[in-house]
Amino acid sequence: MTDTTAPGKLRLLRRRILWLAAALAVLAAAVLLSLTVGSRGIPLGETVAALLHGGDTTNAVVVRELRVPRTVVGLAVGAALGPAGTVMQGITRNPIADPGILGVSQGAAAGVVVAISAFGVTSLTGYVWFGFAGAALAAVLVHTLAGRGRGGATPVKLALAGAAMSAFIASLNTLVLTTDAATMDQFRFWQVGSLSGRTADVAWQLLPFLLAGLLLVFAVARGLDALALGEDTAKGLGARTGLVRATGALGATVLTGSAVAAAGPVAFVGLAVPHAARALVGADHRWVLTLSAVLGPALLLLADALGRVLFPPSEVPAGVMTALVGVPVLVVLVRRRTVVAA
Amino acid sequence: MSAATVPAGYRVLRAGPASFLLHRRSALAAAGLLLLLAAAVVASLCLGESTVSPAEVLKVVTGRPSPHELVVGEFRLPRVQVGLLAGLALGLAGALIQTVARNPLASPDVVGVSHGAAALVVGLLAYAVVGSTGQVPYAAVGGGLVAGLLVYALAWRGGLHAQRFVLIGIGISVALSSLTTVFLTKGDGLQAQQAKVWMTGSLNGAGDAQSGWLSWVLLAALPVALWAARAQRSISFDDATAVGLGLRLNRTRAGMALLGIVLASCAAGACGPVDFVALMAPQIAVRLARSAQIPLLCSALTGAVVVVLADLLARRTLAPVELPVGVVTGLVGAPYLMWLLLRSRRGGS
Repeated sequence: MTDTTAPGKLRLLRRRILWLAAALAVLAAAVLLSLTVGSRGIPLGETVAALLHGGDTTNAVVVRELRVPRTVVGLAVGAALGPAGTVMQGITRNPIADPGILGVSQGAAAGVVVAISAFGVTSLTGYVWFGFAGAALAAVLVHTLAGRGRGGATPVKLALAGAAMSAFIASLNTLVLTTDAATMDQFRFWQVGSLSGRTADVAWQLLPFLLAGLLLVFAVARGLDALALGEDTAKGLGARTGLVRATGALGATVLTGSAVAAAGPVAFVGLAVPHAARALVGADHRWVLTLSAVLGPALLLLADALGRVLFPPSEVPAGVMTALVGVPVLVVLVRRRTVVAA
Repeated sequence: MSAATVPAGYRVLRAGPASFLLHRRSALAAAGLLLLLAAAVVASLCLGESTVSPAEVLKVVTGRPSPHELVVGEFRLPRVQVGLLAGLALGLAGALIQTVARNPLASPDVVGVSHGAAALVVGLLAYAVVGSTGQVPYAAVGGGLVAGLLVYALAWRGGLHAQRFVLIGIGISVALSSLTTVFLTKGDGLQAQQAKVWMTGSLNGAGDAQSGWLSWVLLAALPVALWAARAQRSISFDDATAVGLGLRLNRTRAGMALLGIVLASCAAGACGPVDFVALMAPQIAVRLARSAQIPLLCSALTGAVVVVLADLLARRTLAPVELPVGVVTGLVGAPYLMWLLLRSRRGGS
C-alpha cells in the first residue's frame, strides 16, 4: 500500500469494494443457509414463502418462530464481535487480543453465575442483564487498574490487567461452580456459546446496545489508524490517544458485553475476523471495521448452520464450530503474509 | 573488558575463559524468592489435617526416624515435590515463550501446549482408550508436544516470526479447546467429570513417578536454559538490528521456543494444564527484578512459589474439600500481578 498515486488509490478502492461485495454475498448465503438448514431441511422456496406470506404449516412456523430469531441473534452477535475484536486489537496494539481481553467475557460469565446461584434465574432472557452488568463491571475495573500508576493505561498494562482480571474472575467462577453442582448444571449450557434456543426477545434486548456500540467504534476509526503508528507519532499527528482508547474500549465493551450476554462466550469470531479483514482490505480501520462487521456474522451463521447438520440429531454449538471452521482460514492467512500488522 | 564497559546494574562473573553478565537486582530478587520458596515448602509440609512441627518435618526430610514419616514423607512430600518442579518448569517455559513471542500475553496456553494436552487426554478418556489414571500424564505430555510442535511447524517460514508464532498458536489452541468441548459431551458423565477435574489442574494424587521424570527433564534443561539466558539479550533487539549485528536470530528463537514447549508439556503431564502460572510468573519476575529482559531464574522461582502456595491454599481453605490447584493459582497470582501493575514505574513493556 505504498502506492499513493491516483491510479494506485483507485486500484485499492476497487479492490476494497470488491472484497466488501464478496463478503456481503457470503453473508447473504449464510443467512439463507441458517434459515433453511437444520434437523428439518426446508426448501428455499417454502422458506421465502413463509417469510413473505406467513402460513400455518409446520415448516412455516419453524421458519418464523425458530429460525428467524436465531438468525437475527446470530447476525447481531457476529456484527458485534467482529468490530469489537478489531478495536481491542487496535487499542492494545496486540494481535492476540480478543474481545474478552479486558475481562469482559469472564465478567459476563460471573454475572450469569451470580444470576443462577443467588437469584435463581433460569431463562436466557434473564441472563442477559446479569451478563451485561458483569461485563461492564469487569471492564471498568480493568480500566481503573491499568489507568492508575505512571504512564496511564498503556497497551501493555491494559492487556496484562485484563488477563489478570480474567484469570481472577475465572478462578472465582470455578470456585463457585465446583462447590455448587446445581449451578454448574445450568451454567455449562450457557458456557459453550451457542445460538440455539435464542428467541426474538433476546434480539430486541441486544439491538440498542449493538447500535450504540457500533456508533462508538466507528467514531474512533481514524483515531485507531493514528494509534497504530505508535503512541508518540499518534500524539504528534494530533490524535487524542487517551480519548480514542477510552471511547474505543467503551464501544468494544458494550458490543462484547451484549454479544456474550446473548450467546455466551464465542471467543474465536472476535479474534480471527479482524485478521481476515485486515488481510483483505489493508490497515484502514474504517474498512477493517466495516468488513469485520460483515464477516463476523457470516462466520458465525455458517458455523451455526454447519453445527446443526454435522452430527444429527445432536447439535454442535456455534462456539465450537466457529473455531473448527475458522482456524484453517486463519492459519493460511497468517502464513501468507510476511509481516502481520496489528 | 574494563569495568567501564559493564552496563549499569550488572556485574561480570568469570570462571576461566567463561564469563557471565549478572544483573544485580535479579540476583537479589532470586535470593529473596528462594527464601520465600523454602518457607512455602516448609509450610505446606507442616500444615494439613494434622499439624507437624518444622523440626519434625526436618527429621523426615533428612531421613531420620519420626512418628510423622507416613503423613509427611509419604503423603505431603511427593505432592510438594511435583508442585515445586512443575512450577519451576511452568515459570521457565513462560519466560522463554514470552521472550520469543515478544508478547506479555503469550504462554504455553497460547502456543497450543496446554490445549493439546487437554484435547488428547479428554479424547482418550471419553473414548475409554486410557482407563487408568496412571497413563494420563504420558498422554498429556504427548498431546502437548504434538500440538506445540504443530504450531511451531506451521509458524516456521524461513524463520520464526514472533507474531506469526503467537497468532497460529492461538488459532490452533482455540480449535483444540473446541475439540475438547466436543469430546467432553461424548463420554458418559463420570468420564466427563474426571476429565473436567484433570483439566482444571490438580496435584491431588501426584506422586514420586511424576517428580522422578520431571526432575530429569529440568536437569537436562539446565544447560540449555543457561545458554538461553545469554542468548536472551541478543534477541531483545528488533529483527533488523539483530540481523545487522550478525546474530543468529532464528537459531536462538527456535531453541528457546522448543525448550519452552518441552518444559510446558512436561508440566502439563505432571499437574494438568495450569495455565495462568506461565503467563503470570515472568511478568511478576520482570517487575521484581526491574530488568530489561525477562529474568529466567526469577521467573522459574516465581512459578514454583505460586504453585506451591496455591496447592497449600487449595488443600486448606475449604478443608476437608480439596480444590483443584488450577482454581487457586488465579486467586493467588492475579491480585499480586494487579498490585504490581498498579504501582509499576514502567509505562509500557
